[in-house]
Amino acid sequence: MGFFADSFRSALLLFWNLDRELLEIIGVSLRVSFAATLIAALLAIPAAFFIAGRNFAGKRLLLTILNTLLALPTVVIGLVVYSLISRRGIFGPLDLLYTQTAMVIGQVILIVPVITTLTIAAVSRIDRRFRPTALTLGAGPGDLALVILREARYGIFAAVIAAYGRVIAEVGISMMLGGNAKGFTRTMTTAMALEYDKGEFVLAVALGIALMTIAFLINILFHFCQGQSDHAPV
Amino acid sequence: MPLYRMTDLLRRYGDSTVLNIDQLTIQPGQISTLIGPNGAGKTTLLQILAFLDRPTSGRLEFCGEEVVWQERQLLPLRRQVVLVDQYPIMFSGTVRRNVEYGLKLRQVAQAERRRRAMEVLAEVGMEAFADQDARSLSGGENKRVALARALVLQPEVLLCDEPTANVDSENQEIILRILLEQNRDRNTSIIFSTHYLSQGQRLAHHSLMLQQGSLSVTVSDNSFRVGVVSRSAERVECRLRGQLLISLPATLVPAAAVCRLHLDPARILVNPVEAEAVAGTRLVGEVVELASHGSRVRLVVDVGVRLVVFLDSRHYRQKPLSLGERLELVIPVSAMSCEAVDTLP
Repeated sequence: MGFFADSFRSALLLFWNLDRELLEIIGVSLRVSFAATLIAALLAIPAAFFIAGRNFAGKRLLLTILNTLLALPTVVIGLVVYSLISRRGIFGPLDLLYTQTAMVIGQVILIVPVITTLTIAAVSRIDRRFRPTALTLGAGPGDLALVILREARYGIFAAVIAAYGRVIAEVGISMMLGGNAKGFTRTMTTAMALEYDKGEFVLAVALGIALMTIAFLINILFHFCQGQSDHAPV
Repeated sequence: MPLYRMTDLLRRYGDSTVLNIDQLTIQPGQISTLIGPNGAGKTTLLQILAFLDRPTSGRLEFCGEEVVWQERQLLPLRRQVVLVDQYPIMFSGTVRRNVEYGLKLRQVAQAERRRRAMEVLAEVGMEAFADQDARSLSGGENKRVALARALVLQPEVLLCDEPTANVDSENQEIILRILLEQNRDRNTSIIFSTHYLSQGQRLAHHSLMLQQGSLSVTVSDNSFRVGVVSRSAERVECRLRGQLLISLPATLVPAAAVCRLHLDPARILVNPVEAEAVAGTRLVGEVVELASHGSRVRLVVDVGVRLVVFLDSRHYRQKPLSLGERLELVIPVSAMSCEAVDTLP
């Protein structure tokens, strides 16, 4: 217990002193996770609208596959992407291995199914009458999508938040595709794993605190936005 | 030029046919009502007329133009016709945002949008609610805002699905007054559904009766005011229009002194042979009118009052009838519906 308390105290001291290495690691984590979430959202939300709004052959199979992909282990994604971007892979000449771009690619693959399935659920949950109401008032296909986006916005926002939480906390992809290079591809989770291996817990605890604080702040932001919508009509 | 013209219009959901209309023409500038019980196909017909649902087969013309159900054509058509749902839903945001929505889609300037929204909200008596959350309204208020959201667009045609259902009598009167004023002052064609016959007849220039997806006949035919003469456990003796005495099953007639009786002309049997004999009310009369009506033949038979009967053309060709011929009519119980007049709004 004394050991943990000492580590915790030392970790707080790192924050207090604005330790350069700590800030660098947090910066890389936030940057990579944000880029991956943004790209995945731009791909997954339109795809979810398409899937939710249309009936087509194989839709049920596609939903089953997407649900299955939710359980995809990060090391499997890491392995597949590694085989594609390593020197002998088909994208080897692009020299992507052990870069932040490689980490973003892996993380996008990880969370596209998360945002897609949760957005499909959010869009399917909104009242069926919105569609004919918007159409009869003169909405075209683009206007209709905006109505659905607006009415399902909290569900979609929750999907994006969940995806962000998934990527910022993952370790397999970042380790296998980023390589944990100090100051370049070292994220909070890979640094924590490294520090654990070294038996150095101070930085690991500090990063754990940072990770939990970020998750907490994101959730507060989400609840704040939701609260605004409940009480203050636009 | 008719507002709508429908020919052989059919709408199926799976194996079930929910709408089957041979011929129907609706004229512009009128108030028309669709009258029928739940499940008669009123909502489906309104959705087709609003270009929101596509018929399985058949032809629909709007102002002389055939509807081909392609998105490129539908958007301009939908911008002339607005449907107010039986249970309208409000978009999230304020009442004014909801009313302005259609104007925004039509790229009306913000100041003009606001002016027109406030004007129409005043017309429906909801201007005090303009900045209120649209989802906090009562049922009647919700319907009035939905009406305002449609009226602000000044549509050629206003379609309303059961506009007075599930609202209190005060809101019912307000809604009906708004519909009448809209038709009178702006010459808007209005088509609304109701299952209250009296409401339809009170407001509409033209009423249409739907039964099990088919247009039975205009309501002015085969719709009779009946006075109850005597009542036993099984039968009720009624007098139609103060003339013909008729015996009806007690289960059909509500406990009221005056009722309105509808007889579905497509289900009345003419000279039934033994095999077709069914339980029902039997009447004898004389053919006084005979005319072709689409795929059917329309007879008017004087049985003391004039009854309209539709016969299938093929059936008619097998057993032709002539003017002045006396025949027996059997009205099965399934062809009758009866409602108390004094309980209607």
